[in-house]
Amino acid sequence: MEATLDSLLLGFSVAFRPDVLLYAFLGCLVGTLVGMLPGIGPLAGISILLPVTYGLDATKAIVMLAGIYYGSQYGGSTTSILMRIPGEAASVMTCIDGYAMAQKGRAGAALCIAAVGSFIAGTFGVVLLTVVAPPLAGFALRFGPPEYTALLVLGLIFLAYMSSTSLVRTLLMASFGLLLGMIGIDVLTGHFRYSFDIPELGDGIGIVPVAVGLFGLGEILSTPSSTVTAKVVSPRLIELLPTREEWRQSAMPIARGSLLGFLIGIVPGSAHIISSFLSYALEKRVSKTPEEFGNGAVAGVAGPESANNAASTGAFVPMLALGLPTGPVTAVLMAALLIHGVPPGPSLVSEHPDVFWGFIASMYVGNLMLLALNLPLVGLFVSVLRIPYAYLYPLIIMFCIIGVYEVNHSVVDVWIMLIMGVVGYGLRKFGFDPAPLVLGLVIAPIFEMSLRQSLIMSNGSWTIFFNINERPIAASLLGVCAVLLVLAVLSLIRSRKDWRNKLAEAEGSEAVNQ
Amino acid sequence: MILRRDHIAGLAFVAAGGLIYALSGDLPWGSLGMPGAGMMPKLVLGMMIVFGLILMMRGGTSPPLVETDWSDVGHALCVIIAAALATALYTTLGFVLTMSLMLFGLTAAIERKPPLRALAFSVGTALFTYFLFSSLLKSPMPPSPIGFF
Repeated sequence: MEATLDSLLLGFSVAFRPDVLLYAFLGCLVGTLVGMLPGIGPLAGISILLPVTYGLDATKAIVMLAGIYYGSQYGGSTTSILMRIPGEAASVMTCIDGYAMAQKGRAGAALCIAAVGSFIAGTFGVVLLTVVAPPLAGFALRFGPPEYTALLVLGLIFLAYMSSTSLVRTLLMASFGLLLGMIGIDVLTGHFRYSFDIPELGDGIGIVPVAVGLFGLGEILSTPSSTVTAKVVSPRLIELLPTREEWRQSAMPIARGSLLGFLIGIVPGSAHIISSFLSYALEKRVSKTPEEFGNGAVAGVAGPESANNAASTGAFVPMLALGLPTGPVTAVLMAALLIHGVPPGPSLVSEHPDVFWGFIASMYVGNLMLLALNLPLVGLFVSVLRIPYAYLYPLIIMFCIIGVYEVNHSVVDVWIMLIMGVVGYGLRKFGFDPAPLVLGLVIAPIFEMSLRQSLIMSNGSWTIFFNINERPIAASLLGVCAVLLVLAVLSLIRSRKDWRNKLAEAEGSEAVNQ
Repeated sequence: MILRRDHIAGLAFVAAGGLIYALSGDLPWGSLGMPGAGMMPKLVLGMMIVFGLILMMRGGTSPPLVETDWSDVGHALCVIIAAALATALYTTLGFVLTMSLMLFGLTAAIERKPPLRALAFSVGTALFTYFLFSSLLKSPMPPSPIGFF
């Protein structure tokens, strides 16, 4: 514990450097705007601004990009409460009771509760991250190729299990992403795969064009300007303070949301989105007045907002400690670290302590900055929302093109982004969540390499993954996979049974009617 | 039989998987002891085809295809054409000219904003962004053939 505190002090000495503070502030500011503006989420925002960090060192780059991520969780609540438009997917639940509170003249209180809840949850998440990540990284040093393969399989299955869409759809998306991740030169044999004589494809498809296309352009294509209205309620500064009763009602939901969010954040999937949905459901279930939900319940704002912020911090645990992304945002952040020559993973703590601890310390500071930004300056931010969407989305498209082009100065990347934009539009129309696709794309090289290395190590024997004596970690992880799959199949059978029962009942009633 | 959303989606993935499998013919499978470049892609393609088939078979519970709202497809098509034209011209005409044209096309032609306001917005934004990235962020943008911008 003493070593952790010493390391944290080192982190604060980095985080309090004026240049690092400046980039943390810029990240939080941009993140708040990204979270507020409809049609651009944290993933697109981070991807677009990734090239801007090329001139920075790894610490400043990751501090700024992470600031955009957790800043967007704060900003997303503003549009939800004031306009009933979720600026960010994780803020969907805040729309329900946040906007209802605004309609009752409590917009300021809702914004304050959301900001304070986000601050408490974000700080709680960083404290747990400080405690959990270093020992986990130490443990992960025991991992070899079979353990990584098993961990990635578990990640994919967990993602499918936790996903908001069906298991099959999620696995289908993940397979599609894995396939995209295999385009380019095979590093073990030198074969070109699916590059169709396009030299730029030899290095594979980058995360940035795919992520920006699917989440940035795809979102714009599915949002016609006629559907976005700019009716904004602007609260005065004096109205921001909640009443004593509102504080009391929000205390426990903030505490529950913080813990729930952090735990969900660690597991793969769109954690910040799932956590806000689960927190809302939990608050409604434990509430003594569930009928208030939907009509301006304070817990309906405090719980989900705290949960999505804690989840965005929790998602950094596997990224920093294991070098594994749990979602597309952490995947892009991982790519940012790799671009700066800092491989995330178990060795990050020991080899780049200034980056690791500087990043963690900057999150404490960043959460304070966000609280200061999101409360007194809410009126200023609200004025940004008055920019008509007809002018806003062309700007976003321009930044998408700049962001993607600047990564490699390659027009092929921009074409890939456009294609992925169309794919993203199509996927939305057919009810697919594109997040597992990006995750598949990111883990494809690690997954393929570790699987092939494991098979080479064992001379082609699959038992290397299941031998509990030689590889207890891999075998245990695969055991968990098996349990999750059995649970998923059982729930499938149960739903089929329900369906059969319903059909039998329907047929029975038809027979009676005849 | 009512054609449903998952029938079409599943069929698309099965067809895409089959097509890519056919294109993967020259990639060696290798052996378990020494996996070749084609082993993983073919395994993943197999998974994609299987999941696509399951989606098709379970498609009966998904909404009918005719219920999908396609009212935004015209707008999406216009936006993607404008972005594609800008991409094609990006390195030829340079950043400022291309982006001014794209922004003007989107705001004036597609969004029906007053042409003068759209022109001022487009040129002003493109110039500001050019200077922001080139001068302040030191991130070079494609220059135009006339040398300036």
